[in-house]
Amino acid sequence: MIKDYKIDPRPKLVIVLLLSTLALIYNEISMLFIILLISLSVSLLIKSDVAVVFFKLKKVFILMVFIAIAQSMFIKMGQPILKFHNIVIITDYGIRSALQFILRISIIVVSATIITTSTSREIVQGLVQWKCPYEIAFMVSIAIRFLPILKEEMSDMIIAIQLRGIDIKKVKLIKKIKIYKYIMLPIVTNSILKARELSLAMEMRGFRAYSTRTSYMVLKMNRLDYLIIASSIVVTILFILIKAM
Amino acid sequence: MNAVELNKLNFKYKSVQKRTLENVNLIVNQGEILAICGVSGSGKSTLCNCICGLIPNVYEGEYSGEVKIFGQDISLMSRAEIATNIGIIFQNPSTQLFSPTIEDELAFGPENLCVDRNEIAMRIDEILKIINMEEYRYENPNSLSGGQQQLIAIASVLMLNPKIIICDEIMSWIDEGGKEIIKNLLMNLKKQGKTIIIVEHDIENLKIADRVINI
Repeated sequence: MIKDYKIDPRPKLVIVLLLSTLALIYNEISMLFIILLISLSVSLLIKSDVAVVFFKLKKVFILMVFIAIAQSMFIKMGQPILKFHNIVIITDYGIRSALQFILRISIIVVSATIITTSTSREIVQGLVQWKCPYEIAFMVSIAIRFLPILKEEMSDMIIAIQLRGIDIKKVKLIKKIKIYKYIMLPIVTNSILKARELSLAMEMRGFRAYSTRTSYMVLKMNRLDYLIIASSIVVTILFILIKAM
Repeated sequence: MNAVELNKLNFKYKSVQKRTLENVNLIVNQGEILAICGVSGSGKSTLCNCICGLIPNVYEGEYSGEVKIFGQDISLMSRAEIATNIGIIFQNPSTQLFSPTIEDELAFGPENLCVDRNEIAMRIDEILKIINMEEYRYENPNSLSGGQQQLIAIASVLMLNPKIIICDEIMSWIDEGGKEIIKNLLMNLKKQGKTIIIVEHDIENLKIADRVINI
């Protein structure tokens, strides 16, 4: 049924909001794992590209694991698991905190992929029809639009540096940090210039010419959309009740 | 009536010492294609920004003189009036397009001006036919070539049905095929009575102009 039906962006926003809330409420690893499984199932059911997103965020996940290990090493509560002479390196509590962190971030990332099945325009329209001011909703979509531009700027700068004979992959970490420090200024400057051009183009197309605007796209929620919202809220309340008990 | 009239226009950017525009007087006739040429930094884009009201509304600096659009002082015109009278297309098409589909991109301008939904639909059909890109209606603008993106940027401006169209070096990023399509489109717009101001370096692209001025 879901396969053939295009779900309105609003139930998706509700699902993401509820899943992220649950991820923050729960501390138990088993429950966080269940919430992650639910997020994955919903994400796959809605046909979002979870695998692609995970692949794109590969480096972030490595960083996440690194942060988790660091967290585990610096939290000294609980029973020590790994000791070096008298210095406690890892405790069971630290490992649990690291796992909680990884699971929480994974839930948020997986649930966020649900939104990616709608276009930014649909999300903006969904928010607008929920009485969110157009300017704020549009600002969010423009911010998303700018992420690839920043990435493009970054890769252009790195190519420019490599063309000058510096192989950034072979450079030592401290020098690498220095290089990144140098390229940040042109990246930010170019991004600001591009943002300015975009704002001029918007201005010349009458953005905020009037206090209201018409909308060519009109979203209409169906029974299934309402059912998804209602069932998501019910499931979340159940989870909160379980937590309270 | 003249489409554009500049009287004793002066402008100096806040950050520079010298005036970019000094005592500029210019008349653009209705329905003509005027080409503006000049070396880099001579103030071509600044002039365009003055004609479309971005100076002094957006860019800050020392401004004096008069810009009249169909006899009306631009400083007295509302944002909606400016948008329906003048459209400007910039050099880089990718920074002018921000919607996930071409349809959304084209609808953006008329939506801002509170145009009725049915009217927007009609305009989209019409404009896509003019630029011969009907089959791309639901495509993401980022997936198009530079020439196609520039055509969409032009189309999104045409959606507001402006009487004056300013093209600020719009062909500099485009291949020969794309340039021909854009030149043909500009010629057709001229036949429809639009006033076109083009800023150009390439002599080949100036052939469509009725008049060329150097600044």
